[in-house]
Amino acid sequence: MSRCDRFETEAVLLLERGLPLDEHFSACPDCLAAQAFYDRLRQRLAAVGEGDQPPVGWQVGVWERIEQQRGRRRWRPWWGLVPVALAASLAAVLLVRMPEPEPVFLKAEIEAGPSVQRGDEAKPGDSLRLTSSTGGARHAELRVYRNDAELVLSCSAESPCSRKGEDLQATLVLNGIGRYQPLLLFSKNPLPKASTQGLEADTEAALAAGAEIELGKEIVVR
Amino acid sequence: MLSLIHEPRESPGTPPDPERAALAALDRGSSDDALALLMREYGTAVYRYCRQMMADDDLAQEVQQMTFVQAHEGLARFARRSSLRSWLFGIARHRCLDHLKMHRRRYKRFGPIEEASDLPEPGGSAEDRLSERSVARVLESCLRGLAPRVRTAVLLRYQQGLSYPEIARLSNEKAPALQVRVARALPLLRRCLEERGVAP
Repeated sequence: MSRCDRFETEAVLLLERGLPLDEHFSACPDCLAAQAFYDRLRQRLAAVGEGDQPPVGWQVGVWERIEQQRGRRRWRPWWGLVPVALAASLAAVLLVRMPEPEPVFLKAEIEAGPSVQRGDEAKPGDSLRLTSSTGGARHAELRVYRNDAELVLSCSAESPCSRKGEDLQATLVLNGIGRYQPLLLFSKNPLPKASTQGLEADTEAALAAGAEIELGKEIVVR
Repeated sequence: MLSLIHEPRESPGTPPDPERAALAALDRGSSDDALALLMREYGTAVYRYCRQMMADDDLAQEVQQMTFVQAHEGLARFARRSSLRSWLFGIARHRCLDHLKMHRRRYKRFGPIEEASDLPEPGGSAEDRLSERSVARVLESCLRGLAPRVRTAVLLRYQQGLSYPEIARLSNEKAPALQVRVARALPLLRRCLEERGVAP
């Protein structure tokens, strides 16, 4: 005998939406059993981690971090800047003698379409501008996956990417709604080609080949 | 001039509403006092949420602290369009998802952080199945099996008891989409529990 699955396919969502259930659900034994199960499950979820307590005195850590930030912003008298200036001069000398690559980063910004002005919200037709530094890696590639499944951008030096030294940039028009995950892959070895199997499989293959990955901010287009 | 302003008075013995006390501190220009009140009132709840999101004590502590540090930075500009509580959980949610994203890289390279050793095997002993702690532990492990965006919606709705409109506002998503996400997650949790021979 097959089990009635209407409770899971219909009623669970109706209950989440605060809507009433039809008569079937008060007569069907499978549905009544399912309802009882989900009632208990919701109660259990309310109690999840009930015993979890932050360590005693955790607030001290918060205040210490806030004080550190305040210290960094605080004005210093000019003589207080002498050691800073000396350290900066020394650092400048060392930097001239031993040039270090820029740290790796990947920045993802939204550029609104020509007729629209908005903040961070992305809409179809907006552009995603990626700016990155490859940290001196010989091989680097920018990729963007839509909904973790569809590869919508993959380039290294060729269009739509442009590379100047360590700077690698690209712009992508966001045509469809969904979640867009930008990545910068970099390595001293050649990078494995992107497959059609999506973000998880591709990042796994890249890491297995010794590449490193920098994740950019996920952009949601709605 | 007589001005008639209705100010609801708290009855004697009633603890002061922490939200109002924190907002009053902000009105006085004291973000420090407001933060102290928020930490006292919501510190444990934020930790509980982070602990379930991160499944790691140290990371949960780190994210909880970062949440309150970031709250302190933003308190002076708090726009009062939501409760301070849901605003705080908005920060915590963001921080947790960010941390999880960063850890995905490490996870890929070094393999899963979680070990399954603390979980009863499917069809474990009857004693295990009946034990309250065991049920809670299995449910926590089933929650960890959900994708972070799904897990956060389930936890904010049921562990923290936030309404869908509140979750929608703090996460910048649509309430109907969140309802669908949670409604799809509950049967997954059911199956996970049943596979392990556990009834809630």
